[in-house]
Amino acid sequence: MDRRYFCKTFLFMPFLSPLLNASTNTNSDLELQLITSSPHNVILPLLKEIQKTHMFRCRDFTVLNYFPQKEELIKVLSKNQWRYVLKPSQADFIITFCRLLNPTSPSFTLIKKDKVWDIRHKNLFSLWQEMNKNHQPSSWLTIVSFNRKKINLRRGSFASVYIDGKKVESLSLKNSYSKSFKTKRGKIDVLIEKGNARVVDSSCRKKICLNTSPVSLEGERIICAPNHFLLEIDSFHFIDTVIG
Amino acid sequence: MVKRILLSFVFLLFFSLGCGTKEKWNTATFLYFDTICEINLFCSPQHFESCQREVSRVFSEIENCFSPGTTDFSSPHVLDLFNKASKVFQDSDGFFDITVAPLSRLWGFVDKKHRVPRPEEIKKALNYIGMNKIKIDNDRLLLPPEMELDWGGIAKGLGVDLATKTLKEIGISRGFINTGGDLFCWGKNPSNSLWKIGIKHPRKKGFLGVLSLSERGAATTGDYQRYFLRGDVRYHHVFNPHTGYPARKKQSVTVIGPKTLYCDALSTALFACPHPEKILDKYPDYGAIIVDSGGNIFKIGKSYAFSFI
Repeated sequence: MDRRYFCKTFLFMPFLSPLLNASTNTNSDLELQLITSSPHNVILPLLKEIQKTHMFRCRDFTVLNYFPQKEELIKVLSKNQWRYVLKPSQADFIITFCRLLNPTSPSFTLIKKDKVWDIRHKNLFSLWQEMNKNHQPSSWLTIVSFNRKKINLRRGSFASVYIDGKKVESLSLKNSYSKSFKTKRGKIDVLIEKGNARVVDSSCRKKICLNTSPVSLEGERIICAPNHFLLEIDSFHFIDTVIG
Repeated sequence: MVKRILLSFVFLLFFSLGCGTKEKWNTATFLYFDTICEINLFCSPQHFESCQREVSRVFSEIENCFSPGTTDFSSPHVLDLFNKASKVFQDSDGFFDITVAPLSRLWGFVDKKHRVPRPEEIKKALNYIGMNKIKIDNDRLLLPPEMELDWGGIAKGLGVDLATKTLKEIGISRGFINTGGDLFCWGKNPSNSLWKIGIKHPRKKGFLGVLSLSERGAATTGDYQRYFLRGDVRYHHVFNPHTGYPARKKQSVTVIGPKTLYCDALSTALFACPHPEKILDKYPDYGAIIVDSGGNIFKIGKSYAFSFI
């Protein structure tokens, strides 16, 4: 037995796999946001690529709300390696649909741990370019969340703003005001009104963030990929302990 | 051949050790300092047991040294804490004072028989107040008769600091210790970001706001923890050592900084004094969140991430 063979067999022995998994971060937080009227046509290569680069399990999925092409999407995924389940608690990833305020050109964004994932050097880039060529606007946003707590139907009291993956501000949703954020690539204006947060102006090209519906429920997000900007409504369980 | 067997043995030993000590988040609660103390640490379950023992050891030692009415000042902790308290006493122009015990007694906070004393009683009690009246001889505190020490505004902070130090020494890299009003947190929280510390609202249910901290202590002093009402007037346990009456004009003060001990002492000092900014000028690493009697919230000193609710 030479050394190479020894290492190979040892490293792939099943009893080691829990250890290898333990060393990776199991608390992974990945989200795919897709703007297209026909997600079933583009979702397969995206999911395959995500599965390739991540160690967490993604086999069972569920769809939370209605969408005209919902059945087609389930069919496409079930034909491949994914399994449709009814309960969100059993699902490894959850698909939800949102309506945008205005139709925008098709595109997709990956968000990993509150940071817009740079896909320029990845296999996905060609797909992204292809989608961007297709100029027929769509007003449907498909969100695929992996290993993530589902959105609570409770109104949040804070919105956290992340730029380049760093939390820069926490906005209270109690009062009405607007706030401008400078990013490396321009600026973005947020308006807080009646417990809702929405983007009212942005230097980005496609204005997807501008067309995202106002957010108010715990876990809801607004994303502006060109600005590497993310706004998320905090959920209340985020408090670790209390003093006073 | 021998080399190969040896190598595989080393591998097996290494991995079996790794499998046995899987780290996770552990919590435990204790009853010390008349309050519930909570610890949350990231370590293996076996390790956690020794952590609990260490925290209990430190807390009971501090409790023994500094419980109300103790006259045994022989522990080395006593002189050390007295010197630290003296520093805050001087820096705060006497608004933080550990000799206010006669006042607590007079107002009935010690025997829980609350009463509003007559002005002449308060005037008399004020004669026995002032840390500068205590002399140190041969590393021993010399307390004039009738004077009494109340370590309540600083001892818990010391306990948290010592327990944190011990836990860090035995290899805990992430966690927090919270003794009700006094806290220290270090490393990252379970969701891999800063610790989110809710501050209780002094009047309403729920929170005043949330602090995002790591490697920092925090302590809150409020008029809502121990108090009694006579008519519409709220008499609480934080005294102005110069007047002998409960300090007015504030509902709660939270201080954040590198040492919980100073957070604890400063929160009392800032609560009692009329110009908290002046004191914090001397502590550049410390910041405070103050709720005044009108319910207005403001931040002074070093700014820490705090979001309102």
